[in-house]
Amino acid sequence: MGGKGGQEDIETWLAEGYVTSFRTACLILGNRSDAEEAVQEAFLRAWRFRKSLAPGSDVRPWLYRVVVNTCNSKLRSEIPHRDRRTADSELDRLAAPGDGPTDVEQSGDIVRALQSLPVHLRVVVVLRYYADLTEREIATAIGRRPGTVKSRLHEARRLLAMHPALRTLDNGAESHDSEVAE
Amino acid sequence: MTMIDEGPLRALLAEAADGLAVPEDAVERIASIASGDGPKADIVRTIVPRGRWGRVALVAAAIVVVAGGVTLIGGTPGTSQGHRTVAGPSAVAPGVTGAVPSTTVPLGSHNRLGNGGSTGSSSTPAGAGAPFAANAPAQSNPTVITPSVSPAPLPTGIIGQPAKVVTTGTIDLALGSDPVGPAVTRLTTIANGAGGFVAKSDVQVGPSSGTVPSSGTLVLQVPQAAFASVLTQVQSIAKVTSMSSTSTDVTSQYVDLQARINALQVSRQQYLTILGQATSIGDILAVQSQLDTIQSQIEQLQGQLNLLDSQTTYSTLTVSLSQSGHRPPPPPTPQSGVGRAWHQSVSGFTSGVEWLIRIAGRTLFVLLVLAVLAFVGRWAWRAWRRRML
Repeated sequence: MGGKGGQEDIETWLAEGYVTSFRTACLILGNRSDAEEAVQEAFLRAWRFRKSLAPGSDVRPWLYRVVVNTCNSKLRSEIPHRDRRTADSELDRLAAPGDGPTDVEQSGDIVRALQSLPVHLRVVVVLRYYADLTEREIATAIGRRPGTVKSRLHEARRLLAMHPALRTLDNGAESHDSEVAE
Repeated sequence: MTMIDEGPLRALLAEAADGLAVPEDAVERIASIASGDGPKADIVRTIVPRGRWGRVALVAAAIVVVAGGVTLIGGTPGTSQGHRTVAGPSAVAPGVTGAVPSTTVPLGSHNRLGNGGSTGSSSTPAGAGAPFAANAPAQSNPTVITPSVSPAPLPTGIIGQPAKVVTTGTIDLALGSDPVGPAVTRLTTIANGAGGFVAKSDVQVGPSSGTVPSSGTLVLQVPQAAFASVLTQVQSIAKVTSMSSTSTDVTSQYVDLQARINALQVSRQQYLTILGQATSIGDILAVQSQLDTIQSQIEQLQGQLNLLDSQTTYSTLTVSLSQSGHRPPPPPTPQSGVGRAWHQSVSGFTSGVEWLIRIAGRTLFVLLVLAVLAFVGRWAWRAWRRRML
């Protein structure tokens, strides 16, 4: 998915970006079926409006922007009206069934800690530490300035460190604002 | 400040994400949908806002736009396409009248009124436009209603007989420096020509020196059907400074008088029968007294009925003539070039301000509509972009 503008082969897009996009949406939404719908909708929208991508622009942050916006739209308009118990059960299923007990527990912990974050912080964490976007690409994806992305990452890591499920990972590490900057 | 390390966080997220099974047929499904470039209905869904308030705003904007368009196309009151409110009887030629206090008629059309009203009047100051002064030379208002040339018969009232309408009018004519005498003669000719007469004439002619202006008042009685044409002819004599007309529907009063007279006549007939059967002097005197009372009432009511008949047969038009008594002002002395230019400049400035005020209302409305359109368009565009990306 790292191709440049003008790449008009949706199968290439899907082959390069679907898995990462789907898992990114899963981590943002906390629900597999919502993530599947969101990513499908995002890819179709991006494909339909591919002409709006400026020539020479990188497809990846643009496609992530579509995915993030679709996820935000679902979180804003659809998911709040559902039964909360459904979301909790989906959270439990996010951990892979074949992993060992410790891994399952840790996977569940990080997912729960992630869900405890506000959406705007959750998005930047997932894009930065899972999708491996740079801060500038994240800024493009969420339509904010890189400085905003940096401060959100900072805030998100601080909140995650305070989450009870992740305190064992903290190892007492003391970081400062200057260390966060890339 | 304590923060979670990036390395473990990255590893944990990768580990959790790797455990998420990817739907098997999702890629093929998306590719197949995309090959048809998606359903067209989705494009519509991207345009129509999903939120309730967004849809309400869209509908409200559409209503504003439609209303604005209709207003612009249909014109605003005061334009040539509009309507003008005219006091009822004043805009109606006698014979067509039904005397409604006020009604709205399209410009250029004859007023066809019902006969439900009872009284209506209008007063027309000089220059304000005479509703039925079609040929008045001094009227400045072009939106006049031409009276009916051949008056239609009075409409049948709701009580089953022709409507009885009393029409009176007053008109003030400014003769300027013209003498009063020829005007009086012409008014008399007009009244006689219409089948009427001059009921009263009061003319005061000043000395020949012209220092005291002459004036006069004539009361013309003209047939009801000829009232409009007489009025038109009178307006053509001189400049009309004011004019008013009053029409009163007296049909119910007329019928009431007739009914009371009929009832009294029946009573009188019964008393006459009783009188023929009376034998004693006392009875005869008592019946005779009642007969006298009834007869008196009948004559009184009959007088009122005759008066109404006369009033509804002949309309009364009071014409006031006045001579201005002053000579027209001498023409202004020619101004110098600078003075003329200054006056033209002031006049141009005033005209410009008047023009600005005149178009301000419509311009403001157009700007308001454009602002709403711009706001809705910007909002729709941003919503489109937000949904697209």
